[in-house]
Amino acid sequence: MWSVSTIVTVAGASFAASFVEAVEALTVVLAVGLARGWRPALTGAAAALAALALMVAVLGPLIGRIPLHALQAVVGVLLLLFGLRWLRKAILRAIGVVALHDEAEAFARETRELVEAERQRANGLDWIAGVTAFKAVLLEGTEVVFIVIAVGAGGLLWLASAGALAACVLVAAIGAAAVGPLSQVPENALKFAVGVMLSAFGLFWTGESLGVAWPGGDAAIPAFAALFLGVALALVALLKRRERA
Amino acid sequence: MIGAIVRQLVGLFVDDGLLAVGILVAVGAIAFLTLLGALPTWLAGLLLAVSLPAALAASVVRSVRRARRPKRSV
Repeated sequence: MWSVSTIVTVAGASFAASFVEAVEALTVVLAVGLARGWRPALTGAAAALAALALMVAVLGPLIGRIPLHALQAVVGVLLLLFGLRWLRKAILRAIGVVALHDEAEAFARETRELVEAERQRANGLDWIAGVTAFKAVLLEGTEVVFIVIAVGAGGLLWLASAGALAACVLVAAIGAAAVGPLSQVPENALKFAVGVMLSAFGLFWTGESLGVAWPGGDAAIPAFAALFLGVALALVALLKRRERA
Repeated sequence: MIGAIVRQLVGLFVDDGLLAVGILVAVGAIAFLTLLGALPTWLAGLLLAVSLPAALAASVVRSVRRARRPKRSV
């Protein structure tokens, strides 16, 4: 039986992480659609979604065959690499060492590059636009698939999938309504939260794979999230103070 | 294009080399000692909970120092 905190943590982590990835993919697809037409944009995105579905169809059944401890070890370490990388970048952005990710700027850059590519090729090859949309959706989608598998590895794959699906549908709906980059999304705050949660899951799974009996079982995950959040906030406060001094 | 996709996929997990190496060394060493039986599992858990935030802190502090260095030398 899963505790409420575990259910909320799994669904929340999957939703928030997938939301960020979906926003990034949508930014590129919108740029392609507005600069080069919706046909290559939607074709590229659809092809990427088909490739992702194939990836899930092939990898999904294999996951069940991997011994639990081996799966926990691999997923745990990958989550630590992934989560701590996000958290590090979010901390550096909060301090001001790295520029904040700006969807409006990313949208403008993609549009500029696509218009330039069209100008250089007199025939305006649609495949450039299609490949751009394909690559963006495939890469961001791969991250979503990994996050769902990693966060749901303890037996809550359906819940993690539901969280990711809800995020993708929500972003697609907002994108369709706005037809513009989702620049109002507080992406760094989301990345901060997701980095904290993924790192907490990574620590939990890595320990589980080594046979560590965490105090409180699954309830240790929110405690680890609090640990990483505390360290991250302390680093931001300390390094900002040093910056001002 | 495939090369670029592979590079970006690796980039999903590795951004700062020091952080990635720190995580892998910490987890590897703790796992090795635990599997040998030299480390009780409770201590392995404690070491993981201490070393991973420490690796993050070291990486962030190093990145901040490196970012400031060129400004000071100008």
